[in-house]
Amino acid sequence: MALSQAARQRIVNEFIPRYPSKRAALMPSLWLAQDEAGWLAPEAFEEIGELLDLHATDVASVASFYVMFHRRPIGQTLIEVCENPSCYLAGSDATFQAICKRLGLHAGHDGHGMQTTADGKYSVRPTECLAACDYAPVVQVDLRFHGPVREGDVDAFLADPSRFSIEGKPSVSMVHGPQATPVEGWEANAPPPVATA
Amino acid sequence: MLASPVRPTLAGRGWAMARTERRHLTMTQTPASQGAPAEAPVQHGPGQPLPWEPVLMAAVGRTDGHLLPDYLVRGGYKALETCTSMTPEDVIKVVTDSKLLGRGGAGFPTGVKWGGTRRNPGPRHLVVNADESEPGTFGNRYAIEADPHGLIEGMLICCYAVGIQKAYIYIRGENLAGAEKLEHAITEAYAAGYIGKAILGSDGFDVDISVTRGAGAYVCGEETALMESLEGRRAQPRIRPPFPIEVGGGLFGRPTVVNNVETLMCVPHIIRRGAEWFASIGAPACPGPKLYTISGHVNRPGVYELPMGTTLYDLIYKYAGGMQRNQKVKAVSPGALACQLLPGTDLNIQMDTATLTRPPHWHPPFGPVGFGAGGIIVYGEETDIVQVVARASGFFARESCGKCVPCREGTHWMSDVLGRIAHGHGRPSDLPLLEDITRNIGGRKTLCALGDFSVNSVASALRLFRPEFEAYVNGHAPRAHGYGSIPVAAG
Repeated sequence: MALSQAARQRIVNEFIPRYPSKRAALMPSLWLAQDEAGWLAPEAFEEIGELLDLHATDVASVASFYVMFHRRPIGQTLIEVCENPSCYLAGSDATFQAICKRLGLHAGHDGHGMQTTADGKYSVRPTECLAACDYAPVVQVDLRFHGPVREGDVDAFLADPSRFSIEGKPSVSMVHGPQATPVEGWEANAPPPVATA
Repeated sequence: MLASPVRPTLAGRGWAMARTERRHLTMTQTPASQGAPAEAPVQHGPGQPLPWEPVLMAAVGRTDGHLLPDYLVRGGYKALETCTSMTPEDVIKVVTDSKLLGRGGAGFPTGVKWGGTRRNPGPRHLVVNADESEPGTFGNRYAIEADPHGLIEGMLICCYAVGIQKAYIYIRGENLAGAEKLEHAITEAYAAGYIGKAILGSDGFDVDISVTRGAGAYVCGEETALMESLEGRRAQPRIRPPFPIEVGGGLFGRPTVVNNVETLMCVPHIIRRGAEWFASIGAPACPGPKLYTISGHVNRPGVYELPMGTTLYDLIYKYAGGMQRNQKVKAVSPGALACQLLPGTDLNIQMDTATLTRPPHWHPPFGPVGFGAGGIIVYGEETDIVQVVARASGFFARESCGKCVPCREGTHWMSDVLGRIAHGHGRPSDLPLLEDITRNIGGRKTLCALGDFSVNSVASALRLFRPEFEAYVNGHAPRAHGYGSIPVAAG
């Protein structure tokens, strides 16, 4: 049994009535199953399929489309480092490599595959933009936002990620509040404006 | 009630400084230092809130800003109350008159979309696109986290105006905090009677709202792919027509309004303060407050709520604190990674949908530079543009859904060739080859825009920074440390 009784009930009583078609309950059901077991075993596809009147291969074909559904076990803690341009400009490659090195993993980009430490404690992978670019380089730990985590911060970050948490924090631009305020004396540091060609 | 100030209780919350500073500001759309503004200066009548008063960001920094009691203190759900005393047609007229354009990237007039959906037979659906995953865009994350009730009120107004009973929020899987905030806000609103049956006592106004989490697919930001995902399928875009607003084209085959988070969050403010107020803010062709998000080599990256049409020069130097280490601007991605690069000499440009999607910012056969959702990435002089472009094409190769051949094959070819160049193994013949690939993917050859997006940065970088590519393929790479194409999906 990949799904607990409580999960089955939640799928039947909450997810299926939420949508006009049974199939639409698939995404929340997959999330629920993954949250329970940490990953999606083939039995989970079968059991979800039975509840939603879908073939297990149909369920698997959907689950395999999305990179956040894991079809094999992963480490207890999942660390994902953004590697898209905004974070890259802020040095996310070095952060990623330092994290890998510190955890004894192959330090370098060797595919978007996931690496897991031998003791099964951590899984690490690069990821796409996490939509928190003002705190670049951004790192997610079990889907919680952290940043900026620079190369030199990696030891402190792995010891206590919560120090770098940015959830609920206003944007770094909001030093004076939610309103966009011009930087004091900005004219002095700005080049003269160039006319549009 | 309509003219009541939005932020009556901000004093003592730590924003006193901002309130003082605001008095010293003079507001024109373009700074005097830049010569004549291209459009008429901003008008705002007496008694109206000033245009730079945060509207969408008003709740950011308030400890309880995401909770219902705080939202009610800020005048929350008053706009919905006003709407229920109007006819749905009048509500749509107000939204149309405000000239609100969709904030997700396509820039379609919201009122027109609503009116068109209403003309088609029910049941109809509302889908909120909260799958913000364009690299460099992060305004929705703050908006949802800080003010989920603002979004819910906008959704309810849309449901009232269009005649919708079922609304779905599709939020990207990575934004777990946002999904939790939304779930909590929905529970609160159900308990208070703002969602559910006979809302605000008006007979027959029933709406159910639910949150569905995505699971890491950039293509879900495309509306038809998003609907496929919501229906429990692989997120692969559909053929249009039929369009989402038509029978057979929308969610579960029903006429569907698909709106961006920011678009819907503008709506309560339009109802509360009037279409004229909204239309007077910023660029006349596409007015309103806009959440600009700036990242990259600027001193103060972040989200800035400013009038639509603020110039790039102002955004970078006046608000984002200038460039790191005082370097020059080399290039800018005006609407995040999906848009064409602008050269660093082009900073006078007004950042809005209308300006960036018409000539001279139009490069055949690839089309407009594009404004996207207003996510600006600024590249300083020290940026190695070849590495950036290689990274961008790797992103699109991994995120291509695989439905249309030009995109599925082309993005991987492009990523492979660029990866080879970035590693220092490029050949001179790679540059014409790259141009050939971009022309074969781009130019509306695919069902959705992902194919076009993938070539935008590559084609524009080849146009603007060709010598750098030539240096790489001729063995004079400044730093061919290599990033490589990494198209292997994780499992």
